[in-house]
Amino acid sequence: MLKRCGDDLLSLSVASPPDAQALAAHLRQTGAWLEVVAGIDSVVVRFDATALGAEAARQQIEHVVAGGVPALQESEELLEIPVVYGGEYGPDFNELCRDLGLSRDAFIALHTGAEYRVDMIGFTPGFAFVGGLDERLRVPRRKEPRQRVEAGSIGIADGRTGLYALASPGGWSLVGRTPYPLFDAQAAEPFPLRAGMRVRFRAIAADEFEV
Amino acid sequence: MSITVVKPGLQTTIQSRPRTGLRHMGVPACGAADPLSLALANKLVGNHWDAPALEAALLGPTLRFDVPCAFAMTGAQAAVTLNGRDIPLHETVFANAGDELVTGATEKGARLYIAIVGGLAADEVLGSPSTCLLTASGGMQGRVLEAGDALRLKSAAAPEKLQTPDEFRPPMLASWALRACASSETHQLSSNSRDQLFDTNWTVSRRADRMGLQLEGPTLDVTSDGRMPSAPVFPGTVQCPESGAPYLLSVDAGTVGGYPRIAQIARADRHLLGQLRPGDRVRLLWRDAQNAVDDLRAKIEYWRQWLGDVERII
Repeated sequence: MLKRCGDDLLSLSVASPPDAQALAAHLRQTGAWLEVVAGIDSVVVRFDATALGAEAARQQIEHVVAGGVPALQESEELLEIPVVYGGEYGPDFNELCRDLGLSRDAFIALHTGAEYRVDMIGFTPGFAFVGGLDERLRVPRRKEPRQRVEAGSIGIADGRTGLYALASPGGWSLVGRTPYPLFDAQAAEPFPLRAGMRVRFRAIAADEFEV
Repeated sequence: MSITVVKPGLQTTIQSRPRTGLRHMGVPACGAADPLSLALANKLVGNHWDAPALEAALLGPTLRFDVPCAFAMTGAQAAVTLNGRDIPLHETVFANAGDELVTGATEKGARLYIAIVGGLAADEVLGSPSTCLLTASGGMQGRVLEAGDALRLKSAAAPEKLQTPDEFRPPMLASWALRACASSETHQLSSNSRDQLFDTNWTVSRRADRMGLQLEGPTLDVTSDGRMPSAPVFPGTVQCPESGAPYLLSVDAGTVGGYPRIAQIARADRHLLGQLRPGDRVRLLWRDAQNAVDDLRAKIEYWRQWLGDVERII
């Protein structure tokens, strides 16, 4: 279950994003690790190889896991994220609707009709992986990633919605954009979204887009 | 009390220590791409190793000192003049008010470090004054330097004049060796590709920056479909994207990625990623993870003689 993936990195496999988040949060609370980062189905611990041997790190992690990992505290707060679908804000929207055999309205109804959970934050500050996308909206990542995706962009890929908090390169198909601020380095609370949080999307008109 | 930026150079930023403990929120490390050279420069002006200093990539800046000021430069080999006179790297230099420092193109190595006595004033964000270009925060308003910027100084002290002893001047090369360990998806490489990863004299492509460096050489194949659920990555992670060209992640890299992680540069050698430049040759040297830790301890013991607590630096 524990695998060394570098001289100062240990990786653990887990079953699901909530399991990864719960294990990562628990490890952060119970040890002096340099980094504990959750993926979709794994957690990687970066330890200080000068202060702690790999075997000691491994034993410490195994001890914590054996003691039981408390389930992730799921937030009851529901955050509503306004989205302008299509047009210049969602350059892949029309093509996606065509590929999926859905009208624009049907796509928007499906995407805004469900409640989702944030699986994880990562890649760039505030980038949110939101799970639970309707199977009728499943598409793979784009073969050629874009060099630049604008901040606030909303993409879909592999059964998830991705929220680009910042402009960055990216490979998700872009369906729209939100004016909701997803990261503010200067704010006391720089990240409004956290893993485990509930979110919904709400369609707004392009003239309602105000950052 | 300031230094005026006359010409900014190609990509000059204020850098210090990395951001640590925040990768689970998507916050990249940033900080000096070659932290050892940052520490060497700060040592020469009596600063703590991570005092905010300038990192200049490939083409350095032209600066005018508005007050008398001690500074020192380390890192990439470059022609540097103060009021038209050549000045050396690796020693404390005392500038007078009005003096102009011209740093040219780096000849070997990619990044030049310019440390100023007392350190530069910089925006501290999420635990570090290092510039984060991605989030446009830290350092000088989160951006590269521009002509006309005033770099604010925090001290007017005159430090002791020092030179880096010869044996502590890292060689700047055109051909590099990086020790590397197996990572989570190394087993997904075909056996031929696995041999190629460690037997090839790779060339650093033009796509080489603080995010990462793409290598040119044979096309590697992985036995999986090349995509995987997003998983944690770190500076030093070697990814194999669908193009089959290995990509070495550096200090500004994102925190998770969806491409197979085929190797991990050993901690002992990650500081070298900041000095690889397009066209340089690079070989990856296979190391068992435990041997890589021994290499790290040996490197720390060596550098401790000049820099003290070097385990905080590399």
